[in-house]
Amino acid sequence: MLTGWWDDYLWGAVVVAKVFAASLSLMILFGLIGAAAKLSDNPVAQKIANGYTVVFRGTPEILVILLLYFGSAIALTAVARLFDPDVRFVDVPPFWAGTIAIALIVGSYATETFRGAFLGVKPGSIEAARALGMSPLQTFIYIRIPEMWRIALPPFGNHMLSLVKDTALISIIGLNETLFVAKQAITVTGKPFTMYIVVGIIYLGFSTLITLSVMGIEKYGNRTTVGAR
Amino acid sequence: MRFKSIQLMAIGAVAMCSAFNASAETLRVGMECTYAPFNYRTADGELAGYDVDVAKGVAKIIGADFEYVCQEWDGMIPALLANKFDLIIASMSITEKRMEKIDFSGPYRFSTGQIVGAKKTKVNLFDDAGNPIPGNFKGLKVGLERATTYASWFEDKLPGADVLLYDSSESLYLDLQNGRVDLIMTNPMKAHLKFLSKGDGAGFEFKGPVVDEEKYFGIGVGIGMRKGQEALKQRLNAALKQLINSGDLESYARKIFPFKLHKDVWGQ
Repeated sequence: MLTGWWDDYLWGAVVVAKVFAASLSLMILFGLIGAAAKLSDNPVAQKIANGYTVVFRGTPEILVILLLYFGSAIALTAVARLFDPDVRFVDVPPFWAGTIAIALIVGSYATETFRGAFLGVKPGSIEAARALGMSPLQTFIYIRIPEMWRIALPPFGNHMLSLVKDTALISIIGLNETLFVAKQAITVTGKPFTMYIVVGIIYLGFSTLITLSVMGIEKYGNRTTVGAR
Repeated sequence: MRFKSIQLMAIGAVAMCSAFNASAETLRVGMECTYAPFNYRTADGELAGYDVDVAKGVAKIIGADFEYVCQEWDGMIPALLANKFDLIIASMSITEKRMEKIDFSGPYRFSTGQIVGAKKTKVNLFDDAGNPIPGNFKGLKVGLERATTYASWFEDKLPGADVLLYDSSESLYLDLQNGRVDLIMTNPMKAHLKFLSKGDGAGFEFKGPVVDEEKYFGIGVGIGMRKGQEALKQRLNAALKQLINSGDLESYARKIFPFKLHKDVWGQ
């Protein structure tokens, strides 16, 4: 039925997995930096973080991807020419443009999740830590972090699902992921439904894996009463 | 000192990303890769089609290495201008509108449009002189591809028409079959080969004549490039003429269609 297109879909799925892995790490990084900035006492950092969440939560994903892909190449080329007029162009590979774009978008949601989770750590736990004579660093490592990640996990699972689905958007900048494979296969075979359904199955596979892992981690988190209420 | 560190960072950025300079004779070619039979990727991962044959023929004559980049139609000209590639060989018609932004070589294929609709849609859309009759388009939904010559033609000729815009020609055929649109306007060579001659297209037919008004469809399909590259343009034109005069261009067309897709006068 998919005569000859299996391997293309497989490579497309590998691309999806790679983009997901890279953007997940970046998303966590952006989210943590954003949350730290929002919770800091520094008004400038707070403003920057607020601007970040407003812009990236409030604009369409596809727009961010296009702007980053086309805009970054033009901007970087202009900068490079300042130093070496012979430079014809500087390119940002579509993989990194796409990965950074979706990590920035989902990272803006994660910022709020991490901030909320950090504020959700029970004051009683912190007071208890202080009463036991723990230093602020010890409180952070042994009390705040373990409580925080348990609070953040369910919404964080949703962010991971958004992230994996957003990878389908990056075919627009020419990355050879599964949706792009489907489009190529359709123009040759003329079987749109078969080819699109395969894409659906691949994404369902990815999201099932994510959901199962989140469930597993939740179970691990619930083995003790940390954060229980 | 501060300037120096910025400079070092910039050099680092240039080195990290792939930087090319003018001396390399590698040209990157943008195409859709989803526009059979003109440019598409086969199940083996090979690029094929008329545009691809033309590109390979030109590359051989001008002695350059062509690298191919797959790019969606909507972003084709922006990507060329953003230096994502150097040439567009993607069945792009040479039109005045596009020439405001980019340059074109001479033509290597006709550019025409024709309306396709269900056989049971019994309306005369064109008068005997071949002009569309706006009144007869009333109540009919028309599907067009975004940012194409067909869309510009329709906008000007039939401003009141009920138009839906699509991202690819494949979606056009899908919605024509679904009945979401009653008519589509597209490339007749492609429509014949990929739709009307197949099972899915059995209930459909061409409506009205082939439209090739030069104002909208241009003199044909050419190779697009950024402006201000006169030397490159001359080399491409010479190569295309050589392909026409040697009969190679005709052989590319005859791999797919029982006729050639160019005029011999283009070779002079």
